[in-house]
Amino acid sequence: MPATQLSTDFHKTMKLDNVNTSLQEEIKLECGVDIELCMECGKCSGGCSNAHIFDFTPRKVVQLVKIGDEETLLKMDALSTCVSCHLCVDRCPSQIDIPRIIDYLREKAHKQGIEPTRKNVQLFNKLMLDYVQKNGRVAETHLMVRFNFKTGQYFKDAEMGRKMFFKGKLKPFPSKVKRIEQVRLLFRDVPARREG
Amino acid sequence: MSVAYFPGCSLHGMASEYDRSARLVCRHLGIELKEIEDWSCCGATAAHSLDHLLAVSLSARNLAIAEQMNLNQVTAPCAGCYNRLKTASYEIRNSEAIAAEVEKIIGAPAPVYSEVTNMVQLIIENVGIEAVAEKVRKPLSNMKVACYYGCLLTRPAKVTGFDDPEQPESLDRLMQSLGLETVNWSHKAECCGGGFAASETSIVVDLGGQVLEAARQAGAEAVVVACPMCQTNLDTRQEAIEKVRGVKYSLPIIYFTQLLGLAFGYSVSQLGLNKLLTSPLTLLKAKGLI
Repeated sequence: MPATQLSTDFHKTMKLDNVNTSLQEEIKLECGVDIELCMECGKCSGGCSNAHIFDFTPRKVVQLVKIGDEETLLKMDALSTCVSCHLCVDRCPSQIDIPRIIDYLREKAHKQGIEPTRKNVQLFNKLMLDYVQKNGRVAETHLMVRFNFKTGQYFKDAEMGRKMFFKGKLKPFPSKVKRIEQVRLLFRDVPARREG
Repeated sequence: MSVAYFPGCSLHGMASEYDRSARLVCRHLGIELKEIEDWSCCGATAAHSLDHLLAVSLSARNLAIAEQMNLNQVTAPCAGCYNRLKTASYEIRNSEAIAAEVEKIIGAPAPVYSEVTNMVQLIIENVGIEAVAEKVRKPLSNMKVACYYGCLLTRPAKVTGFDDPEQPESLDRLMQSLGLETVNWSHKAECCGGGFAASETSIVVDLGGQVLEAARQAGAEAVVVACPMCQTNLDTRQEAIEKVRGVKYSLPIIYFTQLLGLAFGYSVSQLGLNKLLTSPLTLLKAKGLI
């Protein structure tokens, strides 16, 4: 979702009028993250690796949680582009775990079937977990090929792939877990959790 | 000493030279690595982005197997795996509710005894810088490197409890003990783009490009890494980065274990130095190191 569509009334909506505290309380309960500790210094956004491409920087994410604007949070592009580098939480004087909030919102958006702004990021993650569920491990070569085919980018990394092949970096036979039933058990309640 | 070893998917795939050099170097330093039997994927970014409990359980299963092997110290050379295992251990220890859920999901006692360390930490804390220096047969002198820690080796600080998240020094000190000169630079602990190499390549080209540019400006001749994701991003995407930025970097991205091995007297092929895409061999020859 382009930032311009969401932020028409940006300054107005970020004001602390009509605050709905339910999301803030939910995040405190579910993630153990208390945004009341935020002192509004902005160091999270100053450190953020991807602030320059985010529609909502970490500081704004915290503010949106505070006013309870869940709709904006679940649709924002930052859910797709956060690299989980944890610079924000380490620079925060109150150690507010913003990456945990982002993951919580990602999971919630997915549960509600909200389309991510960058479908490829979610597709890649799902394909990767498919391999984990099937083999217990990820076969990088297979994952890359499958991802590029699924997204119709047949020749995207062909030149890089050729070089990696000659360096012996591509493995045709994936490494697998023997007691795979143990790993599949870990996935058994995942669909139920996704449906809430 | 025996340590549970978690190689992770990358070290069984594209980063086999990291696996090989890590095993050689640890054996040389008297650390016995015992691979966690039938280990499974840590879940990486994919799991923690889609299901929190699944992410913790995937890592916990591996820690539980290590405990069954009577090994409480666990090491992972991949900074990504290290971070996931360490986070799982942290969550299990700090939340009884999570520990109880995990126990139910994995069908084994929650692994509360595991001590997870990354491999830089393992060597520094269990062998020590001086003991490493004593083992050097071929000092790696006259070469300037940028030690790149990336995000996951030190962050989040409250979970890793390792080094300084802004200006880490452990890897620098380890490399200095081999005779290398390490540069002071701005991007030691910035992000390379992590797991976005395939799905949003532009992010890796952007963030990885900033890392390479900072290393070049600091006068580094190579970048030293302790993570297969950092290595792959900076190495395999270097050509794309050069195209976008219009700068020829030609910076070899070398695993720290490969340099340790080289200083201990192991050969190029034993350490897999010939497997890196941006070849370090010209540089190493020019320095009289191979």
